[in-house]
Formats: sequence, structure tokens, C-alpha cells
Amino acid sequence: MDCLVAGANFLLKAIRHEAFTHMEGHKEFVQIDHNDLFPYLLVNVGSGVSIIKVDGDGKFQRVSGTNVGGGTYWGLGRLLTKCSSFDELLELSQRGDNSTIDMLVGDIYGGMDYSKIGLSASTIASSFGKAISDKKELEDYRPEDISLSLLRMISYNIGQISYLNALRFGLKRIFFGGFFIRGHAYTMDTISFAVQFWSKGEAQAMFLRHEGFLGALGAFMSYQKHGLDDLMVHHLVERFPMGAPYTGGRIHGPPLGDLNEKISWMEKFVQRGTEITAPVPMAPPGTTGLGGFEVPSSRGATLRPDASALNIGVLHLVPTLEVFPLLANPKMYEPNTIDLSDHKELEYWFTVLSEHLPDLVDKAVASEGGTDDAKRRGDAFARAFSAHLARLMEEPAAYGKLGLANLLELREECLREFQFHDAYRSIKQRENEASLAVLPDLLLELDHMDEEARLLTLIEGVLAANIFDWGSRACVDLYHKGTIIEIYRMSRNKMQRPWRVDDFDLFKERMLGSDGKKPKPHKRALLFVDNSGADVVLGMLPLARELLRRGTEVVLVANSLPALNDVTAMELPDIVAEAAKHCDILRRAAEAGGLLVDAMTNTVDGSEGNSSSVPLMVVENGCGSPCIDLRQVSSELAAAAKCADLVILEGMGRSLHTNFNALFKSEALKLAMVKNQRLAEKLIQGKIYDCVCRYEPAPAS
Amino acid sequence: MDRLADVSNLRSSQSQTQISHLALDIGGSLIKLVYFCRYDDSCRDDGDELRSQNDSLCSKSDNSQPVLEGRLHFAKFETSKINDCLDFLHSMKLCLDGSHDGTAPPSNKIFIKATGGGAYKFADLFKEKLGVSLDKEDEMECLVTGANFLLKAVHQEAFTYLDGQKEFVQIDPNDLYPYLLVNIGSGVSMIKVDGDGKFERVSGTSLGGGTFWGLGRLLTKCKNFDELLELSHRGNNRIVDMLVGDIYGGTDYAKIGLSSTTIASSFGKAISDSKELEDYEPEDVSRSLLRMISNNIGQISYLNALRFGLKRIFFAGFFIRGHAYTMDTISVAVNFWSKGEAKAMFLRHEGFLGALGAFMSYEKQCLDGLTVHKMQQKFPISASSAGDNIYCSLNSNSDENGSIECTVYGT
Repeated sequence: MDCLVAGANFLLKAIRHEAFTHMEGHKEFVQIDHNDLFPYLLVNVGSGVSIIKVDGDGKFQRVSGTNVGGGTYWGLGRLLTKCSSFDELLELSQRGDNSTIDMLVGDIYGGMDYSKIGLSASTIASSFGKAISDKKELEDYRPEDISLSLLRMISYNIGQISYLNALRFGLKRIFFGGFFIRGHAYTMDTISFAVQFWSKGEAQAMFLRHEGFLGALGAFMSYQKHGLDDLMVHHLVERFPMGAPYTGGRIHGPPLGDLNEKISWMEKFVQRGTEITAPVPMAPPGTTGLGGFEVPSSRGATLRPDASALNIGVLHLVPTLEVFPLLANPKMYEPNTIDLSDHKELEYWFTVLSEHLPDLVDKAVASEGGTDDAKRRGDAFARAFSAHLARLMEEPAAYGKLGLANLLELREECLREFQFHDAYRSIKQRENEASLAVLPDLLLELDHMDEEARLLTLIEGVLAANIFDWGSRACVDLYHKGTIIEIYRMSRNKMQRPWRVDDFDLFKERMLGSDGKKPKPHKRALLFVDNSGADVVLGMLPLARELLRRGTEVVLVANSLPALNDVTAMELPDIVAEAAKHCDILRRAAEAGGLLVDAMTNTVDGSEGNSSSVPLMVVENGCGSPCIDLRQVSSELAAAAKCADLVILEGMGRSLHTNFNALFKSEALKLAMVKNQRLAEKLIQGKIYDCVCRYEPAPAS
Repeated sequence: MDRLADVSNLRSSQSQTQISHLALDIGGSLIKLVYFCRYDDSCRDDGDELRSQNDSLCSKSDNSQPVLEGRLHFAKFETSKINDCLDFLHSMKLCLDGSHDGTAPPSNKIFIKATGGGAYKFADLFKEKLGVSLDKEDEMECLVTGANFLLKAVHQEAFTYLDGQKEFVQIDPNDLYPYLLVNIGSGVSMIKVDGDGKFERVSGTSLGGGTFWGLGRLLTKCKNFDELLELSHRGNNRIVDMLVGDIYGGTDYAKIGLSSTTIASSFGKAISDSKELEDYEPEDVSRSLLRMISNNIGQISYLNALRFGLKRIFFAGFFIRGHAYTMDTISVAVNFWSKGEAKAMFLRHEGFLGALGAFMSYEKQCLDGLTVHKMQQKFPISASSAGDNIYCSLNSNSDENGSIECTVYGT
């Protein structure tokens, strides 16, 4: 019991979206503030039921329980139905009709409600009450009906006793776990219904995604009592490896560690002709040498009885991750702008990702030299990712709360899993070179403008350059039609204000002031950059240069790991160094920021001593996705952010898909071109290629 | 026991008695009847002492109102055999039109007070077969009225039952409220009673008498409820239930206050064994089932009593049937969960609260110009000869009915 409580405390504190409610088949994840977790009621439904009041870490009391639990369901069910497994019994219940066995209020009242005391005709008055009066024997009842009647009887009873105990101690939250729940939708529904019914809607039943692991987790926690107790949500990243869609989070033998094993697993899977788009618990693809998957009890052709069961990912402990310190309200922060729990939205994005998949596989294979081995891996990746998508279509909540950011990250994780470390490597390189070649001309052009025109052109430039995005289908089509500079010019020419979201004048006033008053420059700006090539070189770098020129320290924030053609923190210093060759301001700032370490100080003007420039720095953000969840950023970024007073988010992934609604303690500028018709309609009531320039002053405090 | 024989028995013993005022409680499994029989010379066979007592008391108020003296009788039928009940009523030559001469033919104006879901469900049937209309009374209200009446008026109505010891509880009529009334019929209703006509159904559970009998029938092939109860007496639930000791290897899990014989999971052993239903003794199955349901009812009742701060919990309804083991289990459950602070109490006329309440409702409407007064205040009502032996309470009397001697005023 210590273990149970320790496990539950750990999960509820350390894993985001661990708890969810389940009403009428609909899951909703609940954000639990770990400072406001206690007290709660933990109901563990195993063979029997333990009801535990938890007041804090290691502080708990078993306050009640009932002997009518999972063992009763399965024991009675086995005697009454001859089912040979618990799962089979549960599966039966889904096709049952309990009104053939239970005596309903309507049966007693001749079809009428007993509305005076709030009982509808379909309320169960007496479980198995009809088995009294009928002439029928056990054999005459359908096992399906018996199973459902039994399930309802026991679930309602557990829900009722739990609620009465919560009431007794004034507890708001009731978490249910244990093998009886097992992610089985109907069980969760009946328990939720009972709690709702008896509490008249005032209490809600909640369930845990990792409910099957409570005891084991707790035992693990007690085994290494050093430091894990202080784990915070932002230290853990949950990843879903290739097998996740098939195994439903259950472990079937040793992990497939080796890449080759993974590929052949996928290949054999396909050879067996199993329909990949509807993942089912799989039979072993031959017993030799393939990870030793045990035979699942369900038949291969049918869907799992617990198709709605949730998958469990692998928790990666990344103690260096921190919450971005400039978030105005970290507790309320939700990175995803688009909630994929809307099924239409989900379908749309799945289609987008599916359609983009062949192109991505081509790029990935090419990036690894197009060898046979790369092709094999590419195929395996495509299958694995399709399986993820299919699983998520089947059960959107399978991997926890699903936002677009999670979906995009899943793709990158999946690529890495098949050792495609950087599918866009060569493309990025080519584009960087092409862009750097025209950078000097652009800088020259800019330097001839007055301050006001220059600022506008810079912002226009950022928006225009943001068109270079391999993640966007529309842009991939564009790439096939022209060179980078042509596209950039065309794009910039189209940049006519007003943009769809246009706070430029506000931003300009902040930068340049009005009525001749010069405002104080920003102390430090964080620039979250997006794509390689024109986007960063012709868009963001010139903007950074402008800020530096005004005496603002600039920190370029880039991905730790590759994602699409996004520029990484590893690549940026080289790009900056190359750009610095043509520009004094950038050179001196980069030197001050320690970016030009290899002492390539054969400078243009030799003004060696004049390195009093504010620094230009590069930090990694801690993630490897086109989007960014600001609850989990690198400690480096967190440190750099401490004295920043301006945050500039650029690109769809970082400023629209995620963080569009994020509020900061500092000033914020969100810049992006919308390269997706649906997102344009949804978010800004606009159309494709519309631009967003959103400026938010720092909140008064 | 053959119910038809019971009925004929009733018939022969009551045929010469004049019946006035009958009330029905038609539940999901059972029909309960309460009816008043006037004494006439032919059936005055009770002890002289009782008679004289009544005489003396009655005489005091004789001059103000006509007095009907007689007995309240109790009878029950299975709802599925409602025709037996109709036959019985037909044979009783009901005289409910106020003339009390036993000859008045049924007419459309005849009403019988009835409660329970069946009062709605079978209204048409009663009209068709007997030509009487069922005057429907609210089920909960009747239960409460019946319970209040019994607890206030009938001496030694409530008792506790623990470890085979029955102990009558003297209830002070002035300190009766509030209490929790748990009526265990097919399902279970839990009613918080604050006074006459002041009550609220606060909870209930679908695991009730119907569940015991329904599941029991499927699992044991027993022919009737009493047989199933009888079986449970000889059973051993350890064969079927998973006990704490089974999980913790025979040692108590004392840390959380569970002894090794505490049931961890009802029917939990039926999981792991390779045994099939046929391999279990019906006695053991019945015992396990009875404990599961009784224990559960006891627990939920206690939790509800706790919620409203109620000291007393009265259990009633036909599930109990004065059955020692059932009462014992419920008592143990209440005792266990309340850590000895609450006690389960039972009512001798447990099954007839609803019917009695319906019967009492005649008073409210002054039907037929006859009033059943608050008897407990004006008339001594001596308990019938149910006796102190718990196994001989109403239902186990040879004629399957009990009675309370009482007096009714006619106005």
C-alpha cells in the first residue's frame, strides 16, 4: 500500500496529463497542480477494493474498502458464463443488455419513472432481480447480458462507496486505478456515472494513464530514495517508440534495442499481411529471434476488447529541462493552439501528415546516401509512423493528451528511432549557402534606408523568408518551381500591409518612439528561429543585426535536435560566422558572444580593440520538434532568458501551432506566415500566405 | 413450502372473519398485504387476559365513537404469482364499502390503498379481476409511515442482533428521530427520517434481496428464496471468497486493521481455481452471496448514517426475514465499519412497512367514514404471539401470517 500511494503521488506530480475523466466514452485530460494535489482519495480496484485517503507523500490511511471488486466480477463471471479469461468476460459485456437480467425501476413501476425520488425507468432497482421471477435457467441467459449486469453492479457499487467516502472526508478528487479498470472504457464509464449520479454532479471520477503500474512504480521509488522524489513534471519527457501502437503499452518480452531488430520486426509484420492501418495486438511474427512476443489472448482479427486502453510511453528523465522563466502563468500555460480532441481537426492533420510522408521518406533516404540499407529503414519508418497515426485515429487519447505539437514531435522521434538523424541535412546546407551568398546585397540595401523604412523592411523580410518551410505542403510545391532568391523576392513583394494580424505600428513605436522621443532599447532579446536557409539568413539574422545595432543583446534560440529543415543550435554558429565575414556589426557581436572561437579575426577593418559590442549568442532550446513546449526548455535557455525583456517567436510551429496564445512576462513579438489554408481560417480568419505580426507589450506589474 | 397451501390455510382460518380495510404493497418480488379483521364471536379465540385488557381500555372511550376491535393481519405473495393473491382477495369477500356486512358486491367505487411499483403496474389487472381501484400511495411515504407507526406503537418492535444474541431495544417515541431506515426489498432504499411525513430518500443500492435470490437461483438451482437462505446456513464462504489470509499467507494484515478472515474479494477464489460451477457446493455459494450482499448493505448504510450524523439504523424489508445469519452479517458490517459506534437494528414486522403505511393512509382521507387513529396513543396494541424466538417471527408461523391486535375507531 505504501508503494501504491508512492506510485500514484509520483505519477500525479511528475507526469503531465496523467489523470483523465471518462464520461460516455469521452476522455478528457485533467491538469493537476502538483501544489494542490492533496488530499485525494485513491481507489485501487484489484481483486478487492482498497480506498485510501492520501494527505501527502507517505501520509495516507486506508479508510475503507469493499470485498466486491475485480475478483468478484471475474469469479462470479467465470461461474456464470464459462468465460476463460477476464478480457473475454469484459469483451462480452460490451455486447450485453442488462435489462434482461436486472430489475429496472421501470419493471416495477410498469414502465414509468419513479420521478418523485429521481429514479428514471432505466435505473437498476435490483441487480439480477429479474433472474428471480422468470422461468429461465442459467443457460437461458446470454453470457453477454450476465457480464454486463455484473459489471454494472460492481462498478456502480464501487463508485458509490468511493463517493460516500470522499464525502465523508470532504475530498474533491477521486482517482481510480487497479487491474479491474485496465483502461476498459465501459468500466470507467460506469464508475464515472455512479460517482456523478450519487454526487449529483459534484464529484468526478478520475483515472490514471499508468494505472497498471502504480504498485511497481512505488516499489521502484522506495528502492532508490535519492532525488527522484523531487522530480518535477518538466523533467520528464514521455516518448512512444515504434512498438507502442501494437502493444498498447504492455510489455511482451525484451525490448527491441537494436535497429536491425526493429526493422525486421516491421518487415515481418507486414509480410504477415496484417492490416497496418488498424493495429491489433499482434501474434508473434514467427517465434525465432524476434524479441519473443508472447501470444496475446485475443484473436488477431478482432480489435482489442480494450481498444480504448491507453498506451504507455517510455519516460525519459531529462533533469536539465526547466520551465521557461518568462512564461506569465506557467500553470495555465497550454502550448497547443489547436486541440486535436476535435475529431475533424485530427483527421485533417492526419491527412496532411500522411500525404507528406512519401516526400519525407525520400528526403530521409537521400540524406543517408540512398543506400539499400537507408531504403529499408525508410520503409520501416513509414510503416511505424503510419501505425502511430492509425492508432491515434482509433483512440486520440492513446498517448495522453494530443496536441499538434505532440504529433509533429512524434514524427521526429520516429525518424530518429530509425536512425535518420537529419533528413534535411543536405537541403539545409544548400539553402544556407545560397542565402548567405545574397546576404551582403540585402544588408547593403537595408543600410541605405532610414530607420523607419528599415524596420518595416526587416519585419517584411522575416515574414517573407518564413515561406521557406519544408513542413508545409504548399511550400514544397513552390520549391519545385523556382530558386530561393526568386521565391524570396516574390514573397517580399507580396508583403503588403496591413497584414492579417498587424501590430507593426505598436512595435515600431516601441522601437523608434513617437514625437521624437527615443525609447530605451531592449536589454536582451530572445529570437526563436525557425527554418534554415533564407528564413534564418535573410529574415532573422538581419533583424538580429538591427537589434544589436541598437545596443540590445541578442540570443538566437534554436532546436537542440533536427526537425524538418529547422536550423539547429549546432548549425547556427557556422552560419553566423559566415555572415559575420560580410558584416561588422555581426562580427563584433559574435565575437563578444564567443561564437567566433577559432580566432578567424582577419577582420575587414582591423578595429581589434573595438569589441565593446553587445554580444550575439546562440543557445539550444532543448527540443527536437518544429514546435516548442515552453514548459520543457533547456537550462541554458532558461538561464539566458532571465534578463531578457523581448521574446521574438518566428515561424508557424513556434508562434502559431504552439504559443500563439502564450502570455509572457516580457514583451513578445510573434511573426509567421500562414502556409496552411485550414490554419489560416481557423486561427486568423484569413487565407493561405496571410501574415501574422503580433506584438504584446509586457504586462504591467 | 407450498404457497397454495398457505393460501387455503389463510382462507379457512379467516373465511368467517369480516375483513375491512385492506392495504397492499406490491413490490418487484413480493406482494405484502395488511388487513384488519373485526372480531366477531366466532373468531374470538385469544387469551382472556388480552381481551379484558382491551375491553377495559376501550370502554373509556366507548361513548364518543364506535369502536371496531380486531386484528391487523399480515400476508404475502410472490409478485410473479399475482393471481394467487387475486384469488385470495376474491375469496375474502372484501367488504370495503363501509357496510361491513361482508355481502356488498364489488363496485367501481371501491378503493384499496396500495403502494409499491406494482400499484401502478397492476392497477388495470385489479380493476379487471376484482373490480377495485388501487388508490396509489407513495412508496417511500408508506415505508416511513409504517416504520414510524411500528417503532412508536408496538412494544418490542426493534431489536439488535449480534453474535446470535437478540436484544430488544426500547425506543422512546419522543426520541425516535432522526433515524436511517434501510428497506431491503428487491433493491435497497435508504431513507433519512426526520419525523412523521418528514423524510428523504438519501441513497440506495441495486444489490439487494433480488440480487441474492436472482444470482443465487442462477448459481445453485434453488427453488425458492427460503431454500437458498437455508442453504447458506450450512455453507462455508472460505471456499469461494478470497480472504485477506489467502493473499497475505495466513497472517493478518494488521497494519491496516484487516484480520486474516476478512473477505478481501467476494467470489475471488472462483478466479484462480480450475473448478467449475458444478464443483462448488450450493451451500458455500449461497453463504458467500449472502455475506457479500449483507455486508455491502451494512457498509453503505453506515456510510449514509455517518454522512447525516444519524445514530440509529433500522433495517427492514423482506430480504431479512428474521434470518439470523443475514442480520448477523449486517450487524457485523455496521459494527466493523463504524468501529463499534453504530448498531444495526431490525424490526419484527420488517416486511410489512409499506403495506402498513398504505393501511395507515386510510386515516388521512377518512375513507368510508372510518378513521384509524394514531393507535399508539389511545390504544394498547399488544404484540401478537410471534414470541421471542427469532425463528418464529411472522413469516415462519404455520399460516404464514402474523397479526397485531388492535382497535379501530369508527366515526
